[in-house]
Amino acid sequence: MSVVAFERKQNGGEWSEKELSTLVAALCAAPGSGREWEAGMTERGDAQFYLLGPLPDQVCELCVSRIGGRYILEDGSGRLLFEHRNLEFVALHAKAAVPSTSWLMVRAITLWCAIRNAIHEKVEPLLVEGEELFVQFVPQLAAFA
Amino acid sequence: MKRGKHQDVFTERPAVKAAPDAKQLRKLAGDWLKQRRADAELSQADLAARLGLKYYTFISQVENGFSRVPIEMMGAWARELGLEQAAFAGHLLMYYEPELHRLLFGAERK
Repeated sequence: MSVVAFERKQNGGEWSEKELSTLVAALCAAPGSGREWEAGMTERGDAQFYLLGPLPDQVCELCVSRIGGRYILEDGSGRLLFEHRNLEFVALHAKAAVPSTSWLMVRAITLWCAIRNAIHEKVEPLLVEGEELFVQFVPQLAAFA
Repeated sequence: MKRGKHQDVFTERPAVKAAPDAKQLRKLAGDWLKQRRADAELSQADLAARLGLKYYTFISQVENGFSRVPIEMMGAWARELGLEQAAFAGHLLMYYEPELHRLLFGAERK
């Protein structure tokens, strides 16, 4: 007789290795993400996973908790984003909720455009003014030569 | 440890060395909040229910020092702990924005 070993559902206590690897793979595995995470417990002994923002503040951006076999996804302000009994689903929602690199790219491009605009407005008139002065003085210098 | 009703719970200062980082200060704020909740004889679940939260996990998140008490919740949080709202907000500011707290209250409260 063969016995099928069903995986036991975690209902309380610390995160299992499998649960942690699911969350870390979904949220922290992106190369160069620079995100750190920490695990903790509530006073009732329910597990919590905190995805931390960048240094120096490292404030919690997302929190996944397990209560009675149910996974709760909240942001750092306590807004309930998603809840389900399947951690894979919760991890997918968490991944979608993480501020992504593309958002950073948009910020970087906006900053670059602002700098270029400032150069165009402030520096270029100075250069044009210098050029005009040069054009006025060259004939006079040529006359002296 | 229980406190007398008139004992000032706002006289506690962050017991850290010079220039503590934001994470360390948030943890101290969390410890202070946990103590005030214990004084009010509330569990994390009780407080969450009183604040209208579906789960108590956010209370734990804040008390473990990973998040701040959101500004819009400060008044209700103070009320449920039986504390004066302005003093509660001012005390949390000392942990969350120490430089702003120093500028606002430095001379009178330090």
